[in-house]
Amino acid sequence: MSRPRLCLLGLSHKTAPVALRERMAFRAEDIPRALRRLIGAEHCREAVILSTCNRVELYGVGIAPDEGLGKRLRAFLAEFHGVPEAEMSTALYERHDADAAEHLFEVAASIDSQILGETEILAQAKEAFRLAGEAEAVGPVLRAAFERAFHMAKEIRAETGIGKSHASVSSAAVQLVQKVFDDFASHQVLLIGTGEMAQGIVRALRELGAQELWVASRTLERAEAFAHTEGGKACQISDLPAYLARVDIVLVSTAAPYFVIRHEHLKDALPKRHGRPLFVIDISVPRNVDPESNKLNDVFLYDIDDLEEVAREGRAQREQAAALSRPRLADEARLLFNELVLVQPGMTAKQLLAQAEALRKEELAKLGGAGLNEAALKELERALERFQGRLLHAPLAVLKEAARQGDGEEAAQWIARLFRLQIEAAKEDMKSEANPATPPSRPLPIPAPERKEA
Amino acid sequence: MTAETFFLLALVFYAVGVALILAGLRVEALRSPGVLLLATGLGVAAQTAGIGVHCTQSASHFFTSSQETYWLLSWALGLGYLAVLAAWKMRPLGALLLPINVVLLTMAHFSPGAGAAPASEAANSQLLPVHILSAFLGYGLFLTAFAASAVYLQEQRLLKRKLFGVLLRGLPSLEKLDRAANRCSWAGLLLFTVALVTGAIMANAVDKPQWFLQPKILATEATWLLFLVLAIGHATGRLVGRSAARFVLAGAALVMLTFVIAHPFREPALPAAVEGKAAL
Repeated sequence: MSRPRLCLLGLSHKTAPVALRERMAFRAEDIPRALRRLIGAEHCREAVILSTCNRVELYGVGIAPDEGLGKRLRAFLAEFHGVPEAEMSTALYERHDADAAEHLFEVAASIDSQILGETEILAQAKEAFRLAGEAEAVGPVLRAAFERAFHMAKEIRAETGIGKSHASVSSAAVQLVQKVFDDFASHQVLLIGTGEMAQGIVRALRELGAQELWVASRTLERAEAFAHTEGGKACQISDLPAYLARVDIVLVSTAAPYFVIRHEHLKDALPKRHGRPLFVIDISVPRNVDPESNKLNDVFLYDIDDLEEVAREGRAQREQAAALSRPRLADEARLLFNELVLVQPGMTAKQLLAQAEALRKEELAKLGGAGLNEAALKELERALERFQGRLLHAPLAVLKEAARQGDGEEAAQWIARLFRLQIEAAKEDMKSEANPATPPSRPLPIPAPERKEA
Repeated sequence: MTAETFFLLALVFYAVGVALILAGLRVEALRSPGVLLLATGLGVAAQTAGIGVHCTQSASHFFTSSQETYWLLSWALGLGYLAVLAAWKMRPLGALLLPINVVLLTMAHFSPGAGAAPASEAANSQLLPVHILSAFLGYGLFLTAFAASAVYLQEQRLLKRKLFGVLLRGLPSLEKLDRAANRCSWAGLLLFTVALVTGAIMANAVDKPQWFLQPKILATEATWLLFLVLAIGHATGRLVGRSAARFVLAGAALVMLTFVIAHPFREPALPAAVEGKAAL
């Protein structure tokens, strides 16, 4: 098997506590400098740094198949952050080649995230890739790996719907309210109590378009302070019956040990609502809304247990989607790496053909002054072409087959040695031909072996 | 291609639509409304072509036989569903409307076709195509509103009982369903008014006394009145949500009653059917 080329070194919420993660995190303004150092001093051909609150990952590509790259990345990480290697070694994970690509795919598809299916990580991975591109640290291997990761993340999200179900109590509340209302701009919200979770739900409702927010609390001052922060209006809790006839969404989150909204409150409000649904979320413990109220027509009442049930179902769905996606991402990573390994055989084949072509032309040029007429020269040229084709057929066929089997790099090295090919020179030619900003996203094809029969 | 072939093609497209909705319950990727929109659109297009071919071939636009009635009703239903699917991505309504369409087209396939062109005075009226088209499109929209209301009541039941399963996940919001039912009712009411007015003009022209007291006409008028009350109630905010949905269900029941009373499967002879009221 070929030696490792792509190397991932990282730590995440699964392996490291937040205290270590925050010490190892790269600030956005430090990333270009770190990338330049990786490319320069650490002999990486390519590098990307992905640094978020939940993970720090370095993706590096060696100049040649390189077993020492992982060690150098560890040393770099320790030195850059001034953290002794021993302190972080147990939290670090290292992956190579297809395994590294598989990990990247899982990260981008949010299958390795703390909250499965969250969307932020994909944007963060894209940003990391963009920063590396700007620092000219991205080449064909990482470009292919990241672009495929972004593509796969999109596909997995669309096919499994991993991000659709709601995994937290707040988002479950928002999911339920969206089952009743659609045009949030035309509905008023009443918030009773000013807890942190209620604040999260209010903000989510605001994002959906809710404009009119009424806030009631134990004291008017408290309600006013909250209303000021969230852009609502304060109201007296004694006016509750009037507001129940007016608003469509009620969110209750107080520490009161009794029912703040009683069955009678809602029963009295209903005739004035003319059949408009009233959505009530009670996230207080003990409950602040009489559970009997759910029996009233057009009242939809959910307490913290209901919301937790929706969130639990959402999490289970996400886990199921993640489990379904993992084998597919692993297959795709192996496929990608096989394709990447084909780059070397492609270059070898190209060089072999070019070398044979040059030799043939050189020999023909020598015969130019040997007194042969034009017809004889043409005939000789054709004979040499046929000879070249038949001679190179076997090595090219072997190379192609080896590339298909995943051993292309090794076969290419043998052929290069046998025919004394200048592979490194060809690589440099390729590098200068292709702008590093836009390297080929697909490996070079191996030319079909010539079969020019006489 | 014959009209029959076009309608069979439409049947296939609607059956594909039903299969897509059922498969969408299990496979997330099949829940996108795009493919369903395409299948329904092709179904409606095939039916439109079928109606066009039928009019050309039979030199008739009377649509009074059982087969023709099923064709027109399923076409109007297909159009109604296509409209709500395109406007509000109301995929789940297809679970009700597309199977109805498949049944209607299957029944059409086994029903007697059109007879000779009628000689009655009403049948020769210029208003007849307007009357028939507006009546059937009105019925189509009322039945689409019925589907939205039925889904509304079912979703409301799931929410009240806190059954947060796969069925609830695939449904649109109650407000969206209420809005779709209301808009379809309004549009249906407008078309139905046109149908009633043109029908009355034609009936008066043939000088049939007290045509408005026939049971089918009374049922039609009751349907129109019910949807008028609903439209006004909704516009004033006094008839929304669950009550409005129940009203629409009652309206749909009246539509079905009108069909049972009026329809030519009870009156095989074509000239008799067009006498007085052609489509109703």
